[in-house]
Amino acid sequence: MNDTPQTSFGFRKIDQNERQSLVNDVFSRVANRYDVMNDLMSGGLHRLWKRDMINWLAPSKVAPLALLDVAGGTGDIARRFLDATGPQSTATICDISAEMLEAGRGKLASRYGQRLRFVQGNAEILPFPDRSFDAYTIAFGIRNVTHIEAALAEAFRVLKRGGRFLCLEFSEVQTPMLDRVYDSYSFHVIPRLGELVAKDGEAYRYLVESIRRFPDQERFAGMIRAAGFERVQYRNLTGGIAALHSGWRI
Amino acid sequence: MSELADQSNAVDPRLLEVLVCPLTKTNLRYDRERQELISESAKLAYPIREGVPIMLPDEARKLED
Repeated sequence: MNDTPQTSFGFRKIDQNERQSLVNDVFSRVANRYDVMNDLMSGGLHRLWKRDMINWLAPSKVAPLALLDVAGGTGDIARRFLDATGPQSTATICDISAEMLEAGRGKLASRYGQRLRFVQGNAEILPFPDRSFDAYTIAFGIRNVTHIEAALAEAFRVLKRGGRFLCLEFSEVQTPMLDRVYDSYSFHVIPRLGELVAKDGEAYRYLVESIRRFPDQERFAGMIRAAGFERVQYRNLTGGIAALHSGWRI
Repeated sequence: MSELADQSNAVDPRLLEVLVCPLTKTNLRYDRERQELISESAKLAYPIREGVPIMLPDEARKLED
């Protein structure tokens, strides 16, 4: 008998309470090699996707904007945002993993000074007041959250009226043929790469499996609407290997 | 505290102003000596390590009544 609700960890079934600590463990193990692995795994595509994300956000160069970047430990989105905006704009990185935050801090803290802030926190229970940010971004983070609905509700809560939600995540490939190539690549090549480069095939097997379990474009758009966001749209990137979802708090 | 304290380990005062307790969403009190953020309503003290506030209830110290 087991009264604890079950959830997924990759394709394994585990207790919900156990999941977050297992996910944290994955990221603490790969933090140092995370950026290198992203390049190898996506053939550099993740850089283009992140650029697309900032382009769609299209932040003002003059207005002082406050960005909250959740699960953004290594700072890839925050630094692009700070480069695209004026000196009055700030980015706050909130990540549950101390190791991922440390990786970002080592790289970026001196470069951006007080425009860039680091907080260790959980996307499901954000430590920020209601209506405190102009934009909320989460790139390759939301599928690692145990309760996605809770994270979306928190995103809505901390955004100001007129604030923008943007999510970049692996999605469902929508191009015939590409889906089969991608399947074989992700299940066979990526864990092998993980073993070679990050010395951790199991961690990367989790990453691949978690991608497959994440809701497809339409279903995820529905979840964003259910959290209260309006004008919800998505764009497929590279045939749907990744997707960008956008919503507004009106 | 020394004025020569390592700046990279100092917490940004403007960051502290925008943090709330993740459980109760209420304001926090900054304990400079202990480097903690106190949530009176949740009876928890969130640690600040190397300038980074750790806003996770599991990592917080429980306060006695």
